[in-house]
Amino acid sequence: MATGQELIEAYTDWQVRCNGNQRLGKMLRGWDRTVHLVASDTGEGFTLSVAGSVLGDLQVGLAGQPDLVVTATSEDFADLFWGDLNPSEKYLSGDIVLAGSSEDVMRLDAMSMVAFLDQ
Amino acid sequence: MTVGPASGAGSAPASGAAGLRRAMGFRTAVSTSTGLAFAALQYLAAAGLVAYVAGDSAWISIGVAGILALLAWGFFGELNGMFPTAAAIRRYMSHAMDDRIALSITFTYLTTIVLVVAADAFVVGAALTHVLHVPTGLTAVWTLVLLGLAVGSNLRGVKVAGWVQDIATTIVLVVTAVVSVVALARSGTPLHGPLQPFHHTSGTNFVESVALGIFLYSAFEWVTTNAEEVRDPRHIHRAMFLAVCILFVVCAVMTTAMGHLLDHGQLTSPFPQLPLGARAFGEAGVWLMTAVTAVTALNTFNGGFITASRFIYATAREGSLPPTLARLNDRAVPWVPVVALGVASFCVAVVVEVVGGSEWEVLVAMGAALEAMIYAVAAFCVLRLRGRLAEHHRPFRVPLVRVLAILGMVVFGLLGLVASVSVSNRFDPLPLVIILVLGAASALYTVRVVPRLRAAELERRAATRPRRRPARPGTARRAVPEQAMEREETSERS
Repeated sequence: MATGQELIEAYTDWQVRCNGNQRLGKMLRGWDRTVHLVASDTGEGFTLSVAGSVLGDLQVGLAGQPDLVVTATSEDFADLFWGDLNPSEKYLSGDIVLAGSSEDVMRLDAMSMVAFLDQ
Repeated sequence: MTVGPASGAGSAPASGAAGLRRAMGFRTAVSTSTGLAFAALQYLAAAGLVAYVAGDSAWISIGVAGILALLAWGFFGELNGMFPTAAAIRRYMSHAMDDRIALSITFTYLTTIVLVVAADAFVVGAALTHVLHVPTGLTAVWTLVLLGLAVGSNLRGVKVAGWVQDIATTIVLVVTAVVSVVALARSGTPLHGPLQPFHHTSGTNFVESVALGIFLYSAFEWVTTNAEEVRDPRHIHRAMFLAVCILFVVCAVMTTAMGHLLDHGQLTSPFPQLPLGARAFGEAGVWLMTAVTAVTALNTFNGGFITASRFIYATAREGSLPPTLARLNDRAVPWVPVVALGVASFCVAVVVEVVGGSEWEVLVAMGAALEAMIYAVAAFCVLRLRGRLAEHHRPFRVPLVRVLAILGMVVFGLLGLVASVSVSNRFDPLPLVIILVLGAASALYTVRVVPRLRAAELERRAATRPRRRPARPGTARRAVPEQAMEREETSERS
């Protein structure tokens, strides 16, 4: 079980990586969204937002009306942000549960893929 | 919004889509389910069905097929309730059977989308050629233009908005029903034996017509891929039910009108809906039905391309398809699957045209057979998961599951077999042969290529990127590839 602090640390690394990726900047153009992250094992909630192709800081708690809700274990979230986990694989196996439109899901997956694999 | 307690894997989303800023409403769920099923190919399938039944009793076959579609609705309702996700088909099939078999079936099923998209492009192209009185060779050009537009808009990330889809589907269904009723009313002759499906025909013909009738409802279940975006999870289940009912009414009226009013040449043409329009409103009716045919393509192309390309993308990301298929363009669209689907659809459409222009009947038979096959698989999954995942939450449960699931497997299995060897009221094993070849290719790919792809993916990850997450003090973390391999082994064992 990852602590909230570990998650924030992992997210910060991901945030720097995403915001520093030019291609991802193009991909996120016009995609201003609020995403809720719900850790199923700890019950903690977090909010991340994308505005102007920039990934904002992770807020503790669920703020605002989300466009997308991602539910996973805190360990999976930490691994995902560190790039050590393939979110698609986890999604297909049911370990990551989503609520939102398929376009938003695609963009979120693109963030992890492009940030780490640059495909 | 409060954070709820732990929600284990496989359960419904913790927050659901209810609180989402953009969530799909019930009306759009109904129009999606109905619109995906009502493709341009529907007109041809309806006309083809007339050949099997006596007089104007085709509606009875469609009614029986509708009752069977409701059986399938029960299976998909239970499975969708258990796995409310776009990846549901992978989830329930991999829980119910060996993952390799599940993948093989899924790949074969995916070909239905290519067939339907190809056939729709051909039908719309043929209708335009006919109505514009241009040489038939131009059908391929229309097809290319239509598919090019579909591919182009998909690559630009354009998705038809929910309200546009609602309007498009309503127009298609209402116009088709009204044209059919008006054409019947203006015929001035009473229906011939509307309650005598066996008059001068054999029972086998009736079974064949029901098998073909299944195709008229096919793809109504594709709306389950929208399970993550509906406002209320129950919308999907209710929408599918309503879609089957709407499809029955429209298809029954249309088929009866076609059987009553059109001659053999019109029924076997690639655009039987145009003479039907002419019988209702003269030349204006022809143009009206041409426009409606073009609108059906909007739903098919939009739904077909998005559903298939995203599924291929996710499967490639999982490591079961080459990684090239997971490449994204700058609009986060998996461009390789989109282009590949467009090219494959165009090739199929051209083959249909070159071979003789009536080979769409083979596509209809294949579509009906594959659809019946997937319904039988759904019945199997429901039954198997009642044992394997007995404690899993089920918002909807099929009653008398043993009886109905076994009935579903037997009936849909037989109907699939009948549909696959019957083309235009004659024995023709070509659809079965093509399905078997596709199935064998999928199985071979799954058994031979997928393990190599997955191993290569693990090697690639190990070679290019060591684990990044820092180890906790006092713990030794394993490398990513080791964990992944362990997961693979566990998955293989299970």
